[in-house]
Amino acid sequence: MQLSGTDRNRRFLAAGAAVAVVTVMALVLIVGFRLATRIRASVAALQTTSVLQTYPAVISQQLAALRGQLDTLEYTGRVHGELAATIANFNKDFATIERRHDLDPAAIQRAQTLWQSYQPVLAPVLAFSGEPYDDTDTGSSLSPGGRVYYDQVRRAAIFAAENATVLHQQLASLSGSLQKRTSAAAARLRTLLFVGVLTVLALAMAALYLQLARGRHERAARDAQEQTRDILKTVREGFFLLDADYRIGSVWSEALTRLFGRSDFAGLDFEELLRDKVSPETLATAVKYIKLLWGERARENLMKSINPLGQLEVSMDNGRGGKETRYLQFDFHRVMGPKGVKHVLCAVGDITSNVLLARELQEAQENAHSQLDMMVGMLHADPLQVSTFLDSASAGLKHVNTILKEPARTDAEFRKKLAGLSRELHSIKGEASALNLMSIAQRVHHLEDMVGELKGKSELTGNDFLPVVLKLDELLAHLRGVREMTARLVTLKDGSPEPGATLSVPQLRIVSAEQPAAASSTERPTRAAGDLGTMLQQLAAKLAQDHGKRITLTLSGLGEVPEAYLSTVKDCVIQMLRNAAVHGIEPSDARRATAKPEAGEVRVDFHRSEKGYELVFQDDGAGLSPETLKQAAVRKNILTGEEAAALDNRAALALIFRPGFSTRDEVSMDAGRGVGMDVVARAVYALGGKIGVSTNPGRFTRFKIALPEASQAPAVA
Amino acid sequence: MLREEELKTFVDGTTRYFEVAAQQPATIGSPYLLEGEPAMHDYTGIISISGKREGVVYFTAPRAMLTVLLMKMQENDFSHESMRDLVGEVANTISGNARRDFGHDFVISVPSVLTGDKPDIPHKPGARSFVIPINWRSHSAKLVVSLT
Repeated sequence: MQLSGTDRNRRFLAAGAAVAVVTVMALVLIVGFRLATRIRASVAALQTTSVLQTYPAVISQQLAALRGQLDTLEYTGRVHGELAATIANFNKDFATIERRHDLDPAAIQRAQTLWQSYQPVLAPVLAFSGEPYDDTDTGSSLSPGGRVYYDQVRRAAIFAAENATVLHQQLASLSGSLQKRTSAAAARLRTLLFVGVLTVLALAMAALYLQLARGRHERAARDAQEQTRDILKTVREGFFLLDADYRIGSVWSEALTRLFGRSDFAGLDFEELLRDKVSPETLATAVKYIKLLWGERARENLMKSINPLGQLEVSMDNGRGGKETRYLQFDFHRVMGPKGVKHVLCAVGDITSNVLLARELQEAQENAHSQLDMMVGMLHADPLQVSTFLDSASAGLKHVNTILKEPARTDAEFRKKLAGLSRELHSIKGEASALNLMSIAQRVHHLEDMVGELKGKSELTGNDFLPVVLKLDELLAHLRGVREMTARLVTLKDGSPEPGATLSVPQLRIVSAEQPAAASSTERPTRAAGDLGTMLQQLAAKLAQDHGKRITLTLSGLGEVPEAYLSTVKDCVIQMLRNAAVHGIEPSDARRATAKPEAGEVRVDFHRSEKGYELVFQDDGAGLSPETLKQAAVRKNILTGEEAAALDNRAALALIFRPGFSTRDEVSMDAGRGVGMDVVARAVYALGGKIGVSTNPGRFTRFKIALPEASQAPAVA
Repeated sequence: MLREEELKTFVDGTTRYFEVAAQQPATIGSPYLLEGEPAMHDYTGIISISGKREGVVYFTAPRAMLTVLLMKMQENDFSHESMRDLVGEVANTISGNARRDFGHDFVISVPSVLTGDKPDIPHKPGARSFVIPINWRSHSAKLVVSLT
């Protein structure tokens, strides 16, 4: 900016010097021309006065000659004519002198007066026109007119002889005056030329100096330009300027050409630069952001923090005819001018390797964390329980793969898979959470998210399932890792000096009030039922912690669960327990306000009934509100407003068993997908059972599941 | 772990062959993980990969599908050799697509062709096999990506 200002000043100075040179030369020429003209006129006048000075003597001589000729009676006509011509010339030249303004008028007047005094004597001479001689046989003699003429000539000759010198001097003084004036004008002209030449020389030198300085400056500017070019050629980031119309300027770094595989950036719209490389949504956001940058009030630091192009995933040509994903980082800096934002400087860097490295690091960290979490989780869990879970999870994921394997070509066939995938994954996640195997639960949760996203797509194809199968593969690999770790832990525990010591802590912590009674009863619960009780207590404790609530879980009769129902009962209770923790049990403050005990109570009772078995699950939480359920169903587009209004309370409560129903709008690890109670109901129906729900708002929610005799239950895959 | 882009490259290479050769694009079915022995069709074009990933990628198709494909390509020769050449070409297209997308990261072998429903497919230990059904008209073939 400063450089360009200095440059402009120098240019103005050089132009000023050139104008001054021309002006001075013009002035010198004009004044010189005028002086020369004056000198020329003075010289002409000087010549005239010089000639005039000769006339008094010539007139005197001619009069003398005329007198002599009259004396000798010679022919006088020629001399008379010459005299007349001389007088005429004098009058003419004198008139020329009279017209000049640069002569002393008094001197002219004096010469004029003198010349006027000649007129009375010269006029009669000139007026004579007759024959001065009378020619007779005896000879010639003056005629009477000739005698008069002779007298006039004689008088005029005497007068002229007497006054010639005076008139000559008077005319000479005029000439002298003219000479002085001419010399003075010539001196002025000389001075003028001298000063003019000096001035022009000085100005020319100044102009030369400025020109040299400008040359130096231009060389410096060229060097600076070359350096800028070198920088732009070498720098690894793509640099360019955006103008107020969001168009790229005429200069950019070569890296930009490499980054975008094109070189026609001049005047290119920023939107065009990114079109076809990013999604329309990202493009729209980027354009909005660029517009914001031009706002005077936008703060740069704040703008930086909301830069949507900080890590932009773009699809680029890889130079071999294919496409590749790269990550670009756009950085924006506003260039301020006197009138506000002048340009926006954009710096684009290829951060692909950084992003991939960071991703690998993050994955490694996550793996390390998840392994640690997994180990911690497994230390608190019974290895046998984990092993049982891993078997059931592997079987579940095998089923997931089987669902994927079913041939599909149409949207409907692909869509049909989603519900089955959701149910299967939700069950696995529930069990993993219950065992506090969060690394597995989180992975399944992620997979569930993917399936959830597919549900929202307008048309499904096989391509949409590619990430799902990759995630499934990753999950299976993780399960293998967990299995290996479990085996190692079992080996460690078996090899420890006090085998019971490691297990005693979790066992002591998780045993419920009901369990010792159950354990001491004659029912002799199976090991699996005992595991289930422990696992449910752990899950209750974890859910209470996760949701900031206090929960007391009372279990009874789980030892009576037939082996064939164990898996279903486990899945159902896990799901209902999660629902109770998320939706039913109120926070301690709210419970205190309604005079309830601070800890919410959940009771699970399994017992024989007339036709088989009954599982009762009850919590003393907020209960179910038919209106809330109806509103949620409308919000989730399960029912229309009219259909919801038409439902009675019983039908409204039954909504919770509908696939996709949830009162939560946000998905979390424990609720929000709307597959929970749907899974419970399906599992119960699959065993030939029934499920019912009753509630008293503010008091309790109770689920009753009736199951047939185990031998009567249909075989379930 | 195999990345989605890598899997897509092989899938695109396969579907593109149908689009170019038969002017009728193929679609893909629901991908799944291979369990046990691969279900092979009559003809299999296979490429071996080493470098950043190691293993094999193969395209296996039934004779009926290849016959219709040859007809669609205005071919009159439906011999065993033509079928072999055809699956070899598909494998070659897959290989070209992979070279284009992965460059020097992958070292890809010249395609070879196996026939019969129990060909000896070399399996790299530790490699999980992804099966992607390739549906074209009423026929179905399989693309199997088995890489570490």
